[in-house]
Amino acid sequence: MKTLLNWRWRSCLLLLLALSLQGCLGFGGNSNGDFNRTSTGGGQQLGINNQAVFQGKLYFTINRTLWVLDGTRTPHQLTRSGMAVRDPAVSPNRQWIAFVVRYTNYADLAYMPITGGKIRILRSGQGKYYYSGTFIHSSYTWQSQPAWSQDSTHLLFLSDFEKEDWYAYTPNAPLLDLQVFSIPLNDPTQVQDVAYAYFGDGGDRDPSYRPGHPDQIVYTHYAYDDATHTQQVIQIFLEDANAISRYPRGHYHPGEPGFDPGVAITPPQDQNIQPAFSPDGNWIAYVRRQGSDQMGLYVMPVPEGVTSDPNNPAVAQKALEPYKQSSLILTGEFISQPVWSPSGKQIAYLSYNNQTFDIWLVNVSLDTKTGVYHMTGSPVQLTDGGVDADSRPCWTT
Amino acid sequence: MNQRKFMQTNPLRGNGFRLEPVPPSAEQPSADAQRGVPPAQPQNTFPSPMPASRPPGTGLLSNWKANAARSAALTANAELKSLTEQETLEHEVVGMPVTGPAHYPGNTTNGYHGRAPQSGTTPPSTMFAPLPTQGMQPQQAAPVGPYPQLQPLVPMPGTRPVPAQPEWYQYGPRPAMPAPMFTAQGFRPAVRPGAVPRKKKKRASMGIRIVLGVVVLLLLAGGSVGGYYYYTLSTPINTILNQQVQRLPGDEDPNQLRGSGGSVLTGGRINILLLGSDTDEKFKLINAEGTDTYLAQTDIVVSVDPATNDVTMFSIPRDFWVNVPGFGMHKLDEAYALGGVALSRLTIFQDFGIRINYYAWVGLDGFIKVIDTVGGVDIDVIHPITDDQYPDDVGNNTQDIYRYKRLYLAPGPQHLGGIEALEYVRSRHADLVGDFGRSARQQQVLKQLKNKLNSPGVVEKFQELANDLAGYVKTDMQLTDIFSLLRYARGIDTSKINQITLGPPYSSSGTTSKGESVVFPHCDLIVPEIAKVFASTADARCNITAATGNTASPVLASQTSPVSQTADSSVLQTASQMVNVSAMSLNGGSSSPIYPGSDLLGIHSLLDLLFLIVFESPAALQV
Repeated sequence: MKTLLNWRWRSCLLLLLALSLQGCLGFGGNSNGDFNRTSTGGGQQLGINNQAVFQGKLYFTINRTLWVLDGTRTPHQLTRSGMAVRDPAVSPNRQWIAFVVRYTNYADLAYMPITGGKIRILRSGQGKYYYSGTFIHSSYTWQSQPAWSQDSTHLLFLSDFEKEDWYAYTPNAPLLDLQVFSIPLNDPTQVQDVAYAYFGDGGDRDPSYRPGHPDQIVYTHYAYDDATHTQQVIQIFLEDANAISRYPRGHYHPGEPGFDPGVAITPPQDQNIQPAFSPDGNWIAYVRRQGSDQMGLYVMPVPEGVTSDPNNPAVAQKALEPYKQSSLILTGEFISQPVWSPSGKQIAYLSYNNQTFDIWLVNVSLDTKTGVYHMTGSPVQLTDGGVDADSRPCWTT
Repeated sequence: MNQRKFMQTNPLRGNGFRLEPVPPSAEQPSADAQRGVPPAQPQNTFPSPMPASRPPGTGLLSNWKANAARSAALTANAELKSLTEQETLEHEVVGMPVTGPAHYPGNTTNGYHGRAPQSGTTPPSTMFAPLPTQGMQPQQAAPVGPYPQLQPLVPMPGTRPVPAQPEWYQYGPRPAMPAPMFTAQGFRPAVRPGAVPRKKKKRASMGIRIVLGVVVLLLLAGGSVGGYYYYTLSTPINTILNQQVQRLPGDEDPNQLRGSGGSVLTGGRINILLLGSDTDEKFKLINAEGTDTYLAQTDIVVSVDPATNDVTMFSIPRDFWVNVPGFGMHKLDEAYALGGVALSRLTIFQDFGIRINYYAWVGLDGFIKVIDTVGGVDIDVIHPITDDQYPDDVGNNTQDIYRYKRLYLAPGPQHLGGIEALEYVRSRHADLVGDFGRSARQQQVLKQLKNKLNSPGVVEKFQELANDLAGYVKTDMQLTDIFSLLRYARGIDTSKINQITLGPPYSSSGTTSKGESVVFPHCDLIVPEIAKVFASTADARCNITAATGNTASPVLASQTSPVSQTADSSVLQTASQMVNVSAMSLNGGSSSPIYPGSDLLGIHSLLDLLFLIVFESPAALQV
């Protein structure tokens, strides 16, 4: 009996020792047993949660390669490594995937068949550094964040390709801030100005067409305040996609008084970014900065009838009203890049856990009594191992 | 409204070193022309009615290349490459095309959107003429390269403690003991005459023995690990500390007069020269003696008076047009390239009368390596970062040291590697608010970085971090001095630290007779500032005019040759300092909220010294 007791003690102590060593030395596997892992190259793995339920296909990038994940939770790599891909966008007719390919000094706007195949360049950003007098200019350009029109014939995209046009207005200082343009697939030379950028804070981001309203777009507008030009004002804007084309070019100079077709739908005191339309076009999910790393995911209704007369103060006021009906879905560290499911019942977003950015899913539903969206159930982590957080994902049927 | 300004460029020229000639690169045709895609923008040039130049900054981050040479290579991008049509991986068809009603904004007047929608339109093949096949160029710059790997720890075999022998066994016969007739087990057997009766040993229970064994094992393992760390870390750190540089004739050594008594914070006010260099390989210059060297883009004198708690950071613009002893008129940053620490120190003393007690030098690549070692930083980029004239000095494989690079960082949360993080904190053209915006970005990165450096897991990376710093941080101070100084600095309210930059009105930008863009000091304003800041540790003056122009004095030039480290602290000495700093840290020295645990082995102190110089701000210590 005594011997037995000793052996029990010994076993317990040895077990404790083993556990201690295990803790110290980091033995053991990943505790996330519900994740199926796939190699993504470079020794990294992408884990997909077996318990996550969703429909359709999610497109995203990992280490600048394009991946797709469908409801069977099987990831597929769509582009080879060595090409820096960002911002995938699937056309509503599900024929094309548009994306951006980045290089050291420029980016190309490209697309390819959704079934894979040859990549085609819609617009290249290649250029050069050159001298104008004693000043150094560059003709390289960036392209970013393509977004399809509902008829799959046009793309919104961001670019600074007009930067050199502004040399005349800003002596020898180009407008580097990216603005919103549209480009038709059947004639890429016919690029149209859609939304202007303010001078100096980096320009616009996150453009997209409003479903069901092909003449409206939403985007995030980064600017400085008019009074001091020192405080950042980051707002979400709604705009008539063709307003600028109806006015003679040059009527409005970025950062200067003049006709501005954009109408703010979020107030200047809050920093709201990354708007995403719901599939029916009646709601916008967006991210609000709440602290240095804390973000809130919100849903607000889309203001109606405010894009036709954007400079009317009464209209501008009306455009801000729906913001007050924003509902907080969830908060967390570095929550970003929301995208609605095609059904409108889920929102995918990026969240920061274990020092990686991963895709999470949250179920949402519209409360008919209160008229606001709210979260149902708990968020579910979909991926583990990290995706590119600066690349906007896309969710399609 | 503020406007973006562009820098004028001038070739760096000096008598004492030679730069590689930069051959003009042939301009390559635009990619658009190559592929038949219409050009993205007109290639015309505009007249430049206002020859504005970006005001030269003050240091490493602020003005890395304020006067970049006008290189013909700038006019062409050696990395021009066209996008090849690239096969992608095949996968199944996602779904059928949408056949619903088409929407089209056909209310434009310029015809851009005037076409009827065509569902499922396939772009004409003419748009996509075959592209020239060419390798893809990833956006990311070349990785910095290979880092020393942490050596695997050798497990130390545990030693089971030997049970203590009874005392009698060692010293003689066992003393006679009365034996009871009965024991608990029954009648005691008779003792054989002459036999030594055996004492029943009081053996520790097996559990206690195992516990003792474990304790000893852990002590041995801990000691071994500690010893391993001290040994392996002290080797790279030994290359950082106590790197004495012989003073040139005319450069008085103020330390001989201080009588510091062994501590850097006793003996009155001290002045420390902080130098920062871009250490990318292409910036490696060769001085007159054939020694590799760099420019010093950061030149800051930190003056500390422990008696009055007066701390001042005195930043001298890198482009200050000054008399470099023995070499005539040069920019201040060239003094380091011409004669290293010794000549920089002598220049500041002879020109401004400021006596330098100690120096510390850092290389920019060290910062990148440290960030990569801790796995990068994850931050919320506060707004889109655009910069068309970011100095392309990391991973640039060309010989064009004045080459530019374009930046576009998306806003929002994301992961930044070392190079991206450096771009984020260093870009000066990314916002209208200049240094305020840059400072906010720096604070973001530092906060994240220090969070990582404070995590328990970073101990495993100590050796890598030490290796990252080796070669990129050098100082003539001891580790204990650095620890004491930084601890002292952290205890001071940042707002109480004077920061003086000799920009306008203390200086103004201009051009030399040879067309070099420089900064001219305004001596009438500078001398009183020096007298006020440095008090008795400076003979305030502004002796910035060279009598002999740019001709090097043979005597002084030859005297710059012994600009080499003359003192070699031994590895054991360094290890001893690391022990001392650890002890100081654990014994109440860790009053800093930055590293609340402790500054084990002094690694955090060295990292803070790196951050202080790279960010040119005492706020780097307070994050």
